[in-house]
Amino acid sequence: MSAGGSGEAAGGMSHNTIIGLGLLGALIGIYAAHFLGSYASFLGGIGAIASILWGAESVRRVSSYGLGTGVPSIGMIALGMGVVAATFGLAVGGVAGPVIAVIFAALIGLLVGLLANTVLKMGIPIMVQSMAEISIAGTLTIIGLSVAMVGSFTFADVLTGVIATGYIAVIFIAGGLAILHPFNGNLGPDEKQDRTLTTAVEKGAITMIIAGIVAAVNAGASGALTIIIGVAIWYIAFSRFYKLVKRDSFSVVGTGLLPNEEELA
Amino acid sequence: MIDIVGALMDNIISVLLITLGGVLISWSVHFVPVGGAPAAMAQATGIGTGTVQLAAGAGLTGLITAATMMGVTDSILLVLASGAIGAMIMISVTMLVGQWSYVYGVGCVPSSAKVKYDPITKDRQDLYVSQGTEGHDLPTVSYVSGIIGGGLGGIGGAMVYYYLMIIENSLPATELVGIASIFAVGIFFVNAVIPSYNIGGTIEGFHDPKFKKFPKAVISSLAATFFCAIMGVIAIGGL
Repeated sequence: MSAGGSGEAAGGMSHNTIIGLGLLGALIGIYAAHFLGSYASFLGGIGAIASILWGAESVRRVSSYGLGTGVPSIGMIALGMGVVAATFGLAVGGVAGPVIAVIFAALIGLLVGLLANTVLKMGIPIMVQSMAEISIAGTLTIIGLSVAMVGSFTFADVLTGVIATGYIAVIFIAGGLAILHPFNGNLGPDEKQDRTLTTAVEKGAITMIIAGIVAAVNAGASGALTIIIGVAIWYIAFSRFYKLVKRDSFSVVGTGLLPNEEELA
Repeated sequence: MIDIVGALMDNIISVLLITLGGVLISWSVHFVPVGGAPAAMAQATGIGTGTVQLAAGAGLTGLITAATMMGVTDSILLVLASGAIGAMIMISVTMLVGQWSYVYGVGCVPSSAKVKYDPITKDRQDLYVSQGTEGHDLPTVSYVSGIIGGGLGGIGGAMVYYYLMIIENSLPATELVGIASIFAVGIFFVNAVIPSYNIGGTIEGFHDPKFKKFPKAVISSLAATFFCAIMGVIAIGGL
């Protein structure tokens, strides 16, 4: 249970498990999609889902303290820091690009977290760690979706296929929403970790489908496969989310259709 | 591997002015009357949404107008002016339409609970604040403050974009525009969120006591943007 301002959120899966799952899942997905050829580009989308899951859990932890600004701000700063780190990492790093991007994302996140606690005096004990986590999650989401769109993280490909075409803006907003929306949509006294994280997977699947649509026009990536797998993940996650909503609600009743004019008269 | 030190030294002016742009964005947020969720229910003075959404709306419009101007001229003054005007028009329209819905839709009088008299019009405020609320709508001072904030944010965003665009590199124009604009957007969002943490999500404008806290956000933004600017300059300058 966690509502805004009530202290650290707890629940089900331990936070360290999710960090491992997000970080390793995303990096393995990104590298596999890069090296295994065009049919494997959907693995970039799977990697993005892993990092979105991690980002949503970090947002959930830090936002439970009450940021005073609403949850969306933290999702947007995640992708703001992420886009700087991702572009920098891929531009200078070559084959080590995603790893360099992760390191620099952690540095920006640590810096912003430290400033928030020391200069702005926000007084959230987990702020420094959370900002670093959110920044890395944003970075990996951007790289994962880029790889799903163009099939490689070579900077020349990403630049022509994702950045110059403007699809980076789609990644920015869709990825940001996927990270911020799960907690924003589920917060309240009855917030449960599994329901929030299921929402994260479902939102991640939607971004994966979007990446698949973009991939359809790129020779290096397989659009159809990304879309089909994305739709399958979305369906499974949404069904589970609906089940969890029914589990957590006091009762679910059908209201029927609105009465027509004759019945009202 | 690219020549990191060389790229940095050649473009040290860009690093400094991008940082200045980030600081301007951070300062500008303190002028914008952000009411957040309470204002959306007409229970606090300001526009009924969060800082980031407002800053993004106005700032991104400023970026677009600045980029359009940059397509026809290289004059920094014209680019900055274009960015400022674009952002000011966007924030003015947002505030004006918000004002209509508060006044004619909700039916409450624009008033501030933070000050007794509007510093600009000298109109009495406290008599018009509904019981249990912290004011509603946008009194004149908040409106003027919002326009100043839009202008500063637009100048800041345009400055970040301009100094990313003039970095020496071998990219074709379309790719340079893409990477410079997404870097500018990233820096913009970082600098919109830092001040919103500083003001705790809501502020009425420059007459609000919280406005005095702006040096903290400015210092934080200075450090964060400087780091981002170095990364941006190395990434673009090395290509």
